Amino acid sequence: MTWKDKWRFVRKNMKKSKSRIFMTVLATAMGVTFLIVLASVGFGLHDSIIKEQLQDRAVTQMEIAGLETEGAFQLITDKQIEELENIEGMRAVTRRVELQQTPSFQIEDYEGSGSTVVAHFPSEIEAGLELSEGKLPENDHQVIVGHHFAQNLHQANVEPDELYNENGEIKDEYQYSESIVGKEIEMMITQMVDGEEQQHSISLTVSGVAEAPARDWMIDTTVFISEAVLAEVEEFTGTPRGARNDPDYPLPEEETLGYHQVIGYADSLEEVETISDMLKEKNYYVYSVADELSQINVIFTIAKAGLIFIGTIAIIIASIGIYNTMTMAVTERTQDIGIMKAIGAHPKKIKQIFLIESSYIGVLGAIIGTAVAYAISILVNAGIPLIISGAMGEELPEGFQFSAIPWSLVAISTAICLIVTILSGLKPARRATQVDVLKAMRREI
Amino acid sequence: MIEVKGLNQTFMLGKKHNQTKLQVLKDVSFTVEKGDIMAITGRSGSGKSTLLNLIGGFMKPSGGQIFINNQNVSEFNEGEFSDFRLQHIGFIFQNFQLITSMTAYENVELPLVLKGVPETQRNELVINTLAKVGLADYQNHYPSELSGGQQQRVSIARALIIEPPIILADEPTGSLDSETEQDVLAFIQQLNRDYGITFLIITHDEEVAQIGNKQIHLHDGKIVKEELAR
Repeated sequence: MTWKDKWRFVRKNMKKSKSRIFMTVLATAMGVTFLIVLASVGFGLHDSIIKEQLQDRAVTQMEIAGLETEGAFQLITDKQIEELENIEGMRAVTRRVELQQTPSFQIEDYEGSGSTVVAHFPSEIEAGLELSEGKLPENDHQVIVGHHFAQNLHQANVEPDELYNENGEIKDEYQYSESIVGKEIEMMITQMVDGEEQQHSISLTVSGVAEAPARDWMIDTTVFISEAVLAEVEEFTGTPRGARNDPDYPLPEEETLGYHQVIGYADSLEEVETISDMLKEKNYYVYSVADELSQINVIFTIAKAGLIFIGTIAIIIASIGIYNTMTMAVTERTQDIGIMKAIGAHPKKIKQIFLIESSYIGVLGAIIGTAVAYAISILVNAGIPLIISGAMGEELPEGFQFSAIPWSLVAISTAICLIVTILSGLKPARRATQVDVLKAMRREI
Repeated sequence: MIEVKGLNQTFMLGKKHNQTKLQVLKDVSFTVEKGDIMAITGRSGSGKSTLLNLIGGFMKPSGGQIFINNQNVSEFNEGEFSDFRLQHIGFIFQNFQLITSMTAYENVELPLVLKGVPETQRNELVINTLAKVGLADYQNHYPSELSGGQQQRVSIARALIIEPPIILADEPTGSLDSETEQDVLAFIQQLNRDYGITFLIITHDEEVAQIGNKQIHLHDGKIVKEELAR
């Protein structure tokens, strides 16, 4: 018996009880829809949270805070930087030293402040530092400024009440509006000497402006100075990294010299975990997005598995309908089965026909259920942000989705649906093979 | 062609814990040669239908052996017997046993479908066989739209389509009027003559038994008379 003929049999049999088959397919489709929609919330939130995590930093980035040596914390020094740079798969290691005071900067009639760091430009470039304007410094007194540095400069001698708008931002009319590249700025540093504040000015030229940070809401007003400028600052303050002599915050007796911010960049996301694990073994304090992702992934994998399990219950309930439908089909066709067996139909062929029928119900249910689930998912993603903004007045981040249906979910739910429907059709199909030819032909069933 | 050796059949009757044995066939042995029309007669309850059901593989014998084409079919399992029937045995039943939801064409086509014969070859075979039984114009009729005689002809066509060497007929004219009965019997004889098909016919009707060249009479599960045609 060819598969085409088996299929013809199945279709003919199904046509005989259209309404019953329709209701069974409907129940199966509802089960599949329930499973997919339920699990799609887990998939959607997982995707959205991962996207959120990856949006504000490079995925290949590892923050290396320091090193534990003999039970004590130590900042990363040039010795460790060399070791880190030699790790296979490590693309770049950026290191920054923060100036221990926040200097003010002046340009023409404008002034402002910003955190000041000493950066190692070759590694920053390798790590992907890009300029939106200008070029890299060519001498010690040239600097790069953060993307929002110029916006942070305001006209001097304006009262604070007048300077800021209701959102606490500098009013447009007081902001520095010209391009800052090539301009000379004065960096004012201070130090307390015998209870009096003394100032020192260092002239710097802005050679370039960094690209805006990945996140819209992040403000970058950093000023990247050279080692030579730091040395000049230290010479004036007489303290390491330009720290002020503040009686409230005395300097530590032994200052650990090292980098305040060290970030390693791996060649790929896959390397991050390997390098991160290796560094942890060597007592480095490492934190990478991979750590965060793996924690999130574990939580969401458990959550998704739970949702799929709950959804599967709906399909199992639907399978009771399939079992009933198939049992009815076997009972109704007992005489036909008996005749077919009498003529020479192998029990296996009879079984296959009934299994194809129950599988077909499962396939139809899976197709219809998946299509409906996609439609519901689109509606949920479009409707829920509107409901939240309408009812709670809160805006969700752009691209945030509640429900996502990846192909893996479709494959999982289809597989579950098919397994459940085949299993529920198995007993009736087996019963069909056990039909007694003589009883069936005498209609004694 | 068919050799039955020491066949016994016992049924257990009654409730599970209070069953009684009923021996329906007692040491039945006979041989049917190729090209024979063997008639098995006997009164109701004599065991003749049981004998046919055992030869057809619809039940397992309690004892004894059945050889068809030198194969010990009494050792076959259900699947093996199904395959064997599809290749070697055609059936004609008293109640025709046609599938009511299928047309005459589809009923006759069914054994070919089960054998896996391609659709293109099936069409010609079915039309020719229906023509052979005189029902070429009735191929799209459902069994309920045919007379008893026509239904039995469809049943015969279904048995013939696989060109079996043996046809087992269980009261083939039991549901027919006397005129149609004569037609069907003449047709059976014609098939035996023209194609050499071996027939094993169960009947309680002496007139039907007369078409056989061999006759066995069963009484209380035993062969009480075995005779050649007069």
